[in-house]
Amino acid sequence: MSHGHDNPILHPEVQMSSTRGYFTGFLISLVLMAAATAMVSSHAFPPFGLLMVITICAAIAIIAQIYFLLHIDVSEHNIWNTVSLVLFIPLFILTIGLTWWMFSQLYLRTMPMMPGMH
Amino acid sequence: MSAHDSPDPSKAVLWDTHHHGHDVISTRSFGYFLYLLSDGMLFATLFAAYGVLSYSHSYFNGPTPADFVHPWYTFTQTVALFLSVLAYGMGMSAVKKGNKAGLMNGLIAAFVLGVIFLGLDIHDMMDLAAHGVTVQTSGGASAFIVLTQVHAAHIFFGLLWILVMMAQVAGKGFTTDTVGRLLSLRMFWHLQAIIWVFVFVFVYLWGYMS
Repeated sequence: MSHGHDNPILHPEVQMSSTRGYFTGFLISLVLMAAATAMVSSHAFPPFGLLMVITICAAIAIIAQIYFLLHIDVSEHNIWNTVSLVLFIPLFILTIGLTWWMFSQLYLRTMPMMPGMH
Repeated sequence: MSAHDSPDPSKAVLWDTHHHGHDVISTRSFGYFLYLLSDGMLFATLFAAYGVLSYSHSYFNGPTPADFVHPWYTFTQTVALFLSVLAYGMGMSAVKKGNKAGLMNGLIAAFVLGVIFLGLDIHDMMDLAAHGVTVQTSGGASAFIVLTQVHAAHIFFGLLWILVMMAQVAGKGFTTDTVGRLLSLRMFWHLQAIIWVFVFVFVYLWGYMS
């Protein structure tokens, strides 16, 4: 059945589990989250710089988890998971980004007296 | 298709007499992956709502995340969830060798750590409610609570699923169905850690510093 054999244990998606990979992904993301928490709770940088630094921490942690945990790579077995994730990312960013942009412009034009506007 | 199928020259046959049907496990797990991406769009709309409702006027002069988020408390939730995901991964590595006891240990550890995550989250929400921060407090508090609790609801259903898989593997062993479901649950559980990075950094930490 699966690739000409009946034993589900031998399926490539089972066999791609890797203790070392899971541990690497765990360690990278935990260290980055600890660093981000320490910087935010001590206000290590001015707000904009702090936001940039924790965004970089989040980005590296997410890439590490996608690679080591979800096994998203260009191997033959996983290529369609990778293609669908790559096509998903613009939808995710556009949904958040365009909504935020529309409302930030709306607030600028309708609530000029409110504090906290940029 | 993959490395383990490469022919052994001593046993090579010239004609493939087997019928190659669908690869049931791959078909199901790809379908489940697409479902999880649409679940990602659910989170996109909630993140968009939080982005729109996290201006200072959204809090209606009430408490903001800067007042009620405790970064190191939420970091302990991060540790619990990442360890749970790691334990599930270790369990799946045991499946590779057909080791049922190893999988059960991984599932139990993942379940206990997931319950710790959820317990810390519920304690945090009770604490917020005791300080007068509920979904009724302000638009900003609504967006914060709904986003974080939708993630917590995913953890709750994942925990139920872990229990179901323990029962199924105990009863049926490693079949195409149970192994396929274990793979789907692996994707689901690992995706919760990825979503949690977004929630922790852009809702808890960013909310605390702004």
